[in-house]
Amino acid sequence: MAEQIRLQKKARGERPQYFADPAIDKTLAITLALAGEVAVLRDRIDTIERLAEAGVAPTRAAVDAYKPDATVRAKRDAWRETYLDTVLRIIHQEREELEQGAADTKPYAAVIEEVTADA
Amino acid sequence: MTATQDLTTQFRHGILPETTADEFARQEFVKSLKFHLASKVSLGNQDAFEARAKPAFAKATGAEPQTYSDIRKAMSEDPYFRFWSAMQRNSQEMMWKSVQIPVERQLPDLIAAAGSAVEAAGTLRLNPDLEIPKYHRGVDIHCMPGGYHTEFTADDVANGAVYDTAVYIYAMGRMGPLNSDIGDTTIAWIKENHPDFKPRRILDMGCTVGHSTLGYCDAFPEAEVYAIDVGAPVLRYAHARAQSMGKTVHFSQQNAEATDFEDSFFDLIVSHILVHETSNAAMRRIMKECNRLLTPGGLVVHAETPPYRDLPAYDAFMLDWDTRNNNEPYWGASHELVASEIAGETGFDPDKAFEAYQPSAFEAAERRTKVFQGGDFGGGGAWWLWGVQK
Repeated sequence: MAEQIRLQKKARGERPQYFADPAIDKTLAITLALAGEVAVLRDRIDTIERLAEAGVAPTRAAVDAYKPDATVRAKRDAWRETYLDTVLRIIHQEREELEQGAADTKPYAAVIEEVTADA
Repeated sequence: MTATQDLTTQFRHGILPETTADEFARQEFVKSLKFHLASKVSLGNQDAFEARAKPAFAKATGAEPQTYSDIRKAMSEDPYFRFWSAMQRNSQEMMWKSVQIPVERQLPDLIAAAGSAVEAAGTLRLNPDLEIPKYHRGVDIHCMPGGYHTEFTADDVANGAVYDTAVYIYAMGRMGPLNSDIGDTTIAWIKENHPDFKPRRILDMGCTVGHSTLGYCDAFPEAEVYAIDVGAPVLRYAHARAQSMGKTVHFSQQNAEATDFEDSFFDLIVSHILVHETSNAAMRRIMKECNRLLTPGGLVVHAETPPYRDLPAYDAFMLDWDTRNNNEPYWGASHELVASEIAGETGFDPDKAFEAYQPSAFEAAERRTKVFQGGDFGGGGAWWLWGVQK
């Protein structure tokens, strides 16, 4: 086998740092990559199920060679959309709160005081 | 347009990299992530701006943010904006990774396929001595490792293959199966506004893999089509791609600032998302070169996203994201260009300059956000065209 040609991994240029601790930048990058790999596995399971339903033995070769048609791709797009809603829950929560206006949110301690005083 | 059966997936021309099921799934995830960020997460930035960044800026400075750079200052430390930016940047890096995996795996096969491309009438002329302009050497534009020009092995086509697949993901398929929307849209504008125009020779500057170039072969079948780029790997790939699709294009490795074509060689010169990847000095030299290359009555048309002055300040701020977050150092300044000013500075008649909007030629309405914003390329549903008639 010929020697593997390696492509450049990092784009030239200073990478922006988005968080106070660079470890958070790295952790987010790893988390998103893992979310991607879960989606890859999920598509693989979906392929195995579809092959089995069609009466085809879901061998590694059959799974690797499987090409989803437009209908299957649309179903997988819809699944990933729901999946991302779930994975990015904390972001969507913040957005919902911002949409409602951050000013409406009382400090939690004030709420405790309010219900406690409400004898 | 080349006939394609399925408008929801990339057209399989002769040199498109193959993907295993897992490689394809990884690319599809990146496409979904980008769409999710553009359609559901990005919108929250405006809520964060209204709910906290704008009042905080007003409190600190005594005035509400007016310009897009005011808004950038107001938003720079906002936690929602920073987190979205971090995710957006990651989606870009994940995109490149997802396309590099299959290209790296099958690179020798791709190089062999490019070398044995069936000789149609098209040509390829490379210049190993060409100096790569410093605006391509400084940073790798839009974070593509190695840019358009880096060669990882002899006769390399890697970054042509990487770019071709990545653009489909980047635009989330909304530039069509051939990634040709910018070219097709520019062609539609030319046909609508210059119905009797019959160019004999056409030049596409900064053609990369020929996404926008090939449409000109069909739109102007009587014309000779030429295309230039500074990057050898993208040109080798472009040539093989065009040959496999039966399109006759003369590709050559040249810098658009100074080409080796004779004076008045072209009737039509076009570029598609070239200008923002140059520099203030270079784009003026390119326009002077266009002036030299055009016949009287000839036309130069550049396609880009809208200038900031045409957008509400908040939208301009969001479109400007790429300048600082996606290795697009000239993105911001290029969005301030005024066609008539540049025309006047480069020997053209400023009165013959134009700026126009043309709706996207490719119909993908259901996946378009209709917003021009960072990380949502091709989502606006229109392209901004500017140029001048000589």
